[in-house]
Amino acid sequence: MSWGGTRSAVRTLTAIVGVTALTALSSCSADPDTGDNEGGPQDDSARADATVYVPQDAETINDAVDLVEPGGLIVIGPGTYEESVLIDVEDVTVRGEDRNEVVIDGGGVRPFGISAIADGVSVENLTVTDHTFYGVLVTGLHDENGPAAHGGDGYSTFDPEDFPPVQRFRFDHITAYNNGLYGLYAFNAQQGTITESYASGHADSGIYVGQCQECWIDVSHNVAENNAVGFENANASELAGVRENRFTHNRVGMTFLSNYREAFHPQQANTVHGNLVGENAEPHSPAQAEGAFGVGIGIGAGTLNRFVNNRIENNPSSGVTLSSEEDLAPVGNRIAGNAFSTNGVDIANIAGARAPAADNCNTDAPSTEPDTDDDATLLPEDLFSSCSGTQPAIDPAELPQVEVPSGVSFRQIDPPPAQPTMQDEPAARELGEIAVTDDVAEVPGSDYLAERSRHGVP
Amino acid sequence: MTTGDSETGPQQQRPQEKRPAPGVSRRGFLLGSGAGVGVGAAASAVLWRPWVTGDPTAESPGRASGSAEAGRPVDSRGRHQAGVDRPQTPQANALFVIADVPKTSSTEVFEMLANLGEGIDSLTDPKGHLTEVLPDDPGDLVITVGIGPQLVSLIDPDLPGAEPLPEFGSDTELEISGGDVLLALYATDVTVLHSAAMHLLDLVPDASVRWVQAGHRGPGEGTVARNPFGYHDGVVVPRTDEELAENVWIQGGPAAGGTVCVLRRMSLDVSAFRALGPGAQDAVFGRHRDDGRPMSGGSPTDEVDLTARTETGDLTIPLRAHARAAHPSFTGSPLMLRRSYGFAEPDTLEEGMVFVCFQNDLEAFVRTQHRMDETDDLMNFVTTTASASFLILPGRTGDQPLGSSLRS
Repeated sequence: MSWGGTRSAVRTLTAIVGVTALTALSSCSADPDTGDNEGGPQDDSARADATVYVPQDAETINDAVDLVEPGGLIVIGPGTYEESVLIDVEDVTVRGEDRNEVVIDGGGVRPFGISAIADGVSVENLTVTDHTFYGVLVTGLHDENGPAAHGGDGYSTFDPEDFPPVQRFRFDHITAYNNGLYGLYAFNAQQGTITESYASGHADSGIYVGQCQECWIDVSHNVAENNAVGFENANASELAGVRENRFTHNRVGMTFLSNYREAFHPQQANTVHGNLVGENAEPHSPAQAEGAFGVGIGIGAGTLNRFVNNRIENNPSSGVTLSSEEDLAPVGNRIAGNAFSTNGVDIANIAGARAPAADNCNTDAPSTEPDTDDDATLLPEDLFSSCSGTQPAIDPAELPQVEVPSGVSFRQIDPPPAQPTMQDEPAARELGEIAVTDDVAEVPGSDYLAERSRHGVP
Repeated sequence: MTTGDSETGPQQQRPQEKRPAPGVSRRGFLLGSGAGVGVGAAASAVLWRPWVTGDPTAESPGRASGSAEAGRPVDSRGRHQAGVDRPQTPQANALFVIADVPKTSSTEVFEMLANLGEGIDSLTDPKGHLTEVLPDDPGDLVITVGIGPQLVSLIDPDLPGAEPLPEFGSDTELEISGGDVLLALYATDVTVLHSAAMHLLDLVPDASVRWVQAGHRGPGEGTVARNPFGYHDGVVVPRTDEELAENVWIQGGPAAGGTVCVLRRMSLDVSAFRALGPGAQDAVFGRHRDDGRPMSGGSPTDEVDLTARTETGDLTIPLRAHARAAHPSFTGSPLMLRRSYGFAEPDTLEEGMVFVCFQNDLEAFVRTQHRMDETDDLMNFVTTTASASFLILPGRTGDQPLGSSLRS
């Protein structure tokens, strides 16, 4: 399996996000007076009839969703909102006036903050916390038949023919903390962006992208810390890019997984570049379900990915781990131009005999042909003596051993510091398709995005 | 924690349902969202049919079922051989006879199968069975016939069941593997089994017995019964005709209507298991011993929720629990039909079980056994001493000899 065959998948992207102030649509508000919105947060020139203000026009966010037209804008004023919001109107933008002061609070009992199941939904500039399941989700997997359709019956994955992926979404400047499993969560979705967001205190992962092919989702400029896993990819292929994020102080920084339990295995062809992946041995976090701790990047039967120009440091077990999942193998991953330092071991292969690692490579620069990176420590030492064919492995017990601290309740993780709030005028977003470029980010510094982290500058 | 109750909050906050997206009910989504933990979640109401409330009269025709049916004749004729899905509640007693036969051609194999088919008729026809073998009526005696990989290959190496089992990590103590012919005999009346088996062996004069094992099942309805460890077994299996078609019966080709059977004779270290204590025992299985309810919560009739966690992130069905290790979703496998029998040898005091499963693809078992060898704490108490796989021939209708559909 050659890397050259996946050329289209190694490009990165810039999202095309049109910003349009909608003025032509009439309000669907029952009371035309409310459209005037006296005392509203914006000046008249920026207000459109298609804008629904909470709480002025609608007492709850769900009420606002009932009122808003497709393509419209919902602006949420400061306050705590105790509701699970379902967005089923196309091309709607949901905007908090102040990222830190607009809080959707699950009270430890509600399952989720926001679920978007329509195409073209933007969610931005708000906080979601204390839900039992997840903070914000976008998915095409839904119908009116109840639980059987939601995630399958446990014995079969969903049929993509029945549930086409939702198209175009945007998660921007969202703070998600202390939700049961996931902070920002996208599966069975394509053509989206997850940017400038923050996630901590999640027992599965801060940011999760799963179950899509040709996903073309861009995950960039986010901070995830104090989670079991910072960023998790399971069966999500051809992501547009996972770039320029800070995934530090989790139990595991990032994972790229293939598994049979979900649709679209194996995972393949992500480009992961310019990320800071460090200090992933954080005791103040929920437990990782399989007991993992001290790992920078876990490639669990991920295939054909590129890991380029990342800073991978101070992960006491391993910087990068290759492993298998049942009979699915880690194959064709290229690790290039990364700055490794002070990991237990920089790259280790613990894939089992049933699904041995093959065709993976570590190179000293992204542009060169396969060539051993002399600076990276390897287990076994001859792991990359060849970049093609089956590759040798160690037993997991031979990894640098770290003591795994007990998990902390997701509800007991300290809240994050205040995060930067958006300064531009609220406007309905018209989301386009993702455009791709060949740009690769530079290796970030150890203090990358430290100003948004509770852990500050190392 | 689990997913929480989606009816808390959203339903209260959101009494109105206006303008759902095309084809989408908002209420349906909200109701759905809480029950399954998103991706590949458990919550399988579909595959469960409670054994405690089984109603024999409600079963589909042609299938003896339920303990109320115990002892009543089971039709040996049909698209499928008896002893796989009928009777629905396996008989209390079994005798597994695995023999070798020195066959060198498919013609010889077909002759043998035809003889065995006639022999089965002569033993199980309630209106005219051989009284010199069974002085009284045969009751619910069922005899299922399978042939091992070598004989299957003689007929056609591309048939299901031609591929032998691979060697598993747990096979280190294996004393016997393989075999050419399986005669699996089941009856409520234990005394008929030996006589019937001997009569059938007489019909295959060149057969040499490779191994024999008797087994017994405790009371139960359907496929569920307690295993020698004291835990409910056979809980999640295909039951409906649709599920059996999808998971168990070979669907096309000359073996259509047949299935692939795996037999594993396992010696169980019940004493060591018992020494764990009740809580640790439950953790090995992932269910509670008293009533079978999952450690992830719910009632005995609930499936395990493999994604459920505590607030601190720990799995409620432990990572190495049997219920997690054997779950087909991890290997992308169809569901195996399991009808296992326990045994206790009076001379050696050995306790064990004959693991019996049926599936239309041998790989379903193979992948699962590999996974169990790697991740199942229950395997610490299991020593497999014999192992074999067989093509269970399609059933017979009319005057067709047993195995005739394989002639092509």
